[in-house]
Amino acid sequence: MNAQPLGLKQRFKLSRFVSGEAPASGPIVLNQRRVFILPTRRGMVFVALIALVVLIAFVYNNNLAYMLGFLMASIFFVTILHSFKSLSGLVIRPAQHPPVFAGDKAMFNFVLHNPGDQQRVAIEMRLQEAVPISLQAGETRSVSLPAATKKRGWLDCSTLTLSSCYPLGLFRVWSPLRFDSRVLVYPYPAKLDLPFPETAAGQGRQGQSKRGGDEFYGLKSYQSGDPIRQIHWKAYAKGRGLHSKQYAGSASLEFWLDYDETPGGDVEGRLSQLCRWVVDAERAGLRYGLLLPGAKLSPDCGIAHSQACLRELALFGLAR
Amino acid sequence: MAASMLNRRSLYFLLVSMALITLPHAWHMPWPLFSFFAAMWVWRFLAVRRGDWLPKRWLLFLLTLLGIVLLITQQRGVFGRDAGTGLFVVALGLKLMEIHGRRDVFLVVYLAFIVAASQFLYEQSILMAGYILLVCTVLLATLITQNTAQVATQAAIKTAAAIILQALPMAAVIFVLFPRLEAPRWMWLADDNKALSGLSNTLEPGSISDLSLSDELVFRVRFDGEAPPPAQRYWRGPVYSRTDGVRWTMAANHNQPTPAVDFSGKAYRYTLLMEPQKQNWVFGLDMPESFDASLRLNRAFQLLSDKRPADRAEYKIVSRPGYDTGPINPADYRDNLQLPAAASAKQLALIKTLQGFDGPPERFIQNLLNHFSRERFYYTLTPPLMPDNPIDTFLFETRSGFCSHYATAFVYLLRIAKIPARVVGGYQGGEFNRVGGFLEVRQADAHAWAEAWLENKGWVRFDPTAAIAPERVERGVNVDLQIASGAVNFGPVIADSAALSWLKRSRQLWQSIDYNWQRWVINYNGANQMRFLQALGIDGIAALAKWLVGSLLVVTLPLVWWLLKKNRKPADKTLSLYRRFCDKLAKAGVAIGQGEGPKDFADRAQKQRPELAARIQQITALFIRLRYQADAADGDLQKLKALVDTFSVKKVKQD
Repeated sequence: MNAQPLGLKQRFKLSRFVSGEAPASGPIVLNQRRVFILPTRRGMVFVALIALVVLIAFVYNNNLAYMLGFLMASIFFVTILHSFKSLSGLVIRPAQHPPVFAGDKAMFNFVLHNPGDQQRVAIEMRLQEAVPISLQAGETRSVSLPAATKKRGWLDCSTLTLSSCYPLGLFRVWSPLRFDSRVLVYPYPAKLDLPFPETAAGQGRQGQSKRGGDEFYGLKSYQSGDPIRQIHWKAYAKGRGLHSKQYAGSASLEFWLDYDETPGGDVEGRLSQLCRWVVDAERAGLRYGLLLPGAKLSPDCGIAHSQACLRELALFGLAR
Repeated sequence: MAASMLNRRSLYFLLVSMALITLPHAWHMPWPLFSFFAAMWVWRFLAVRRGDWLPKRWLLFLLTLLGIVLLITQQRGVFGRDAGTGLFVVALGLKLMEIHGRRDVFLVVYLAFIVAASQFLYEQSILMAGYILLVCTVLLATLITQNTAQVATQAAIKTAAAIILQALPMAAVIFVLFPRLEAPRWMWLADDNKALSGLSNTLEPGSISDLSLSDELVFRVRFDGEAPPPAQRYWRGPVYSRTDGVRWTMAANHNQPTPAVDFSGKAYRYTLLMEPQKQNWVFGLDMPESFDASLRLNRAFQLLSDKRPADRAEYKIVSRPGYDTGPINPADYRDNLQLPAAASAKQLALIKTLQGFDGPPERFIQNLLNHFSRERFYYTLTPPLMPDNPIDTFLFETRSGFCSHYATAFVYLLRIAKIPARVVGGYQGGEFNRVGGFLEVRQADAHAWAEAWLENKGWVRFDPTAAIAPERVERGVNVDLQIASGAVNFGPVIADSAALSWLKRSRQLWQSIDYNWQRWVINYNGANQMRFLQALGIDGIAALAKWLVGSLLVVTLPLVWWLLKKNRKPADKTLSLYRRFCDKLAKAGVAIGQGEGPKDFADRAQKQRPELAARIQQITALFIRLRYQADAADGDLQKLKALVDTFSVKKVKQD
């Protein structure tokens, strides 16, 4: 977890304060190496206040005023421990990060675990936006942190910061964490609602299956890969097992989505259009194949297929 | 800084702590200033629910003006305790009207800490210290609640109290070891309007009657060894030599060097703890022989202090009951025979009958005392008014009065008889606190007696009040106390109430606690600190620094350990036991994998370490039953603990 010891030089590297240590893939335990603490501006003012109280005590030679000043100084110190305590020991591990379409908010999901027997409150988790969190003793909870997406491809998780000013707001503890998590960003689905292309590339394969369409045809037992929307949930709820509804109709042709045949000016425009078609075809329950320069996915339908297609589109021409 | 960041509860917390912190000031602030604050507070309190009730900007400006006007008209000066307190309280009231964000809450809470400190400038009792501690807890809770809305009110107070309790030991260490320096004199901020009572510069029979009724503590004395008998407990104060017949004042030349004194008798060593005074008078036991360097004895043998009288101070003094002050110098002789007018015929006749003009002074004095005792002289705390010619009125008409009447009349007659005499003010007696083992002297013990200068004896003390026959003592207001403490010896001492009632005992216990509080906390000044630290073997800044760091470590390390230990301890006991089991296996090279269930892990571990198979199986089965199954028996947890405790794995050589 936090296995490798740090060299002296690394230990004092300033970048650790903001960007954390090398990215991790597994869970990270927030220990003294990960948690940093500095007084806030209010904390600094508090120090000035202590000085003022001690000065009053000095001028009036008043022992109880001295005591108050010293008590405030001790409170200041004890607060360091309490602040550290509000983060230390927490375990955070990355969870599944579902792919998104470019332009949508990517959600980086993490699982936060509080192993101690103390409640943790007023923790803030921030990737791009701050998310407030509190954890009961022993609680495990998942947290989704949104991140803006602009272009397709892999979106690496930037530095994630956990911070807290609890309890008195005099100190801020923070822990910059880096995970090698990434979110796959699909191309932005084109806005233009173009009809599906005439299937040219896959002519020879027509007629293999006429199923899929808008007229109900019958039930067949579920096979993995069947679209979820076609599952006959009522039958499942009655305990008769999983069945898929079969449709038949005019639209049940299978077709190919070919990069070279796709309208759209540049690469991104075409990918965007292809993406839109994949989404629409999947939604309509059609069978479609994808032809990209250097990649070919045979016609099929179902979530796994659509995801495979979108993945090809997202990573087209990019390093995998 | 959005207003939405402020939750309503946090505001209530803030208002409550503000009310608590300013409340004690109600007793010593000009009422218009305090009313101003109270009005602001009530206004703000009502406006918590009705945000539109808050004053608009122009109104706020007017309120600020009003506050400034009040400050200028009610306070004299800008600096000093009272002015500063007024300023902070008015500022606090105005700031309450303008709380918009977290920053303002912090500012107000910080202001409140200063108001808390100013509270101690007025009172330093244990109760006040406890009260301020309570207020500090509420202040910290305010900070906690404004930090997060997720904490319950009770939890916030609990956390605040925990922080304060954890901070106290450290604060105590700093308190003891932080070097105390006396502030330079220019920084002493005078506050003349402090209401401190005490003996005054002048004596007019009647001026002490107020004091006799006051139960207020003046000083406390702890004797090293035996205390003097009550009859010898005369605590010497100001000496009044000059008179105009009505009013007695101190002689001007009292600051000249003290004549040498020939001491005799038993030496009493004691520590005197003076409460705050108006004057720098220290009431030493008659007659002080040696004392702290901060004290000096003036020409009239009165102890004066160099310290600030408004602070509590502790002095070590040695006194002896026998003394011979030697010859009188001409100035003193002149001062102590001074009379405002020629003696009246009645006075001359009285002195003549008492053989004042034709015998030794001792005989005249004895005759005069007998005269007070034989004739119908009364002791009363409520004598009739004697505005004109009080000596004659007292001696020949009313014949009733208290110590000052007797002492002044006595001295007056002696002077007519050409015996140098003067009035001494101070305290007599004191109540012995059995719990604390010290003597408490109160304003009610204030007394006035006489001193006459006699050939070959020097100044000799006479107490004409003590000569009055006991049956003529008016059983008035507070005489019981004086008799009980031996302040006034009216013949045979009326029995010291032998059986202390529990009330008296608890009062004495409290007094004892208070004494130690005064002595060890309030009066822990530079000199005391030096003495204390030297007793510990700390001399010099380097040693002090070492001690400070060392004791802070001693205090904080357990705290750090205790606070952070809680974090590591899992909430689930079963789980923590199982983890220990896994750790033991891991040390032997069989580590549980990521996401590996207990069953899979057990199978793998048994394969790797077949000799432990039975034990691994047992522990795993118990763990699963405890954690995942409802039918765990009561003793299972103990069984698991025993198994894990005794579970040991020997390392296998890797070759």
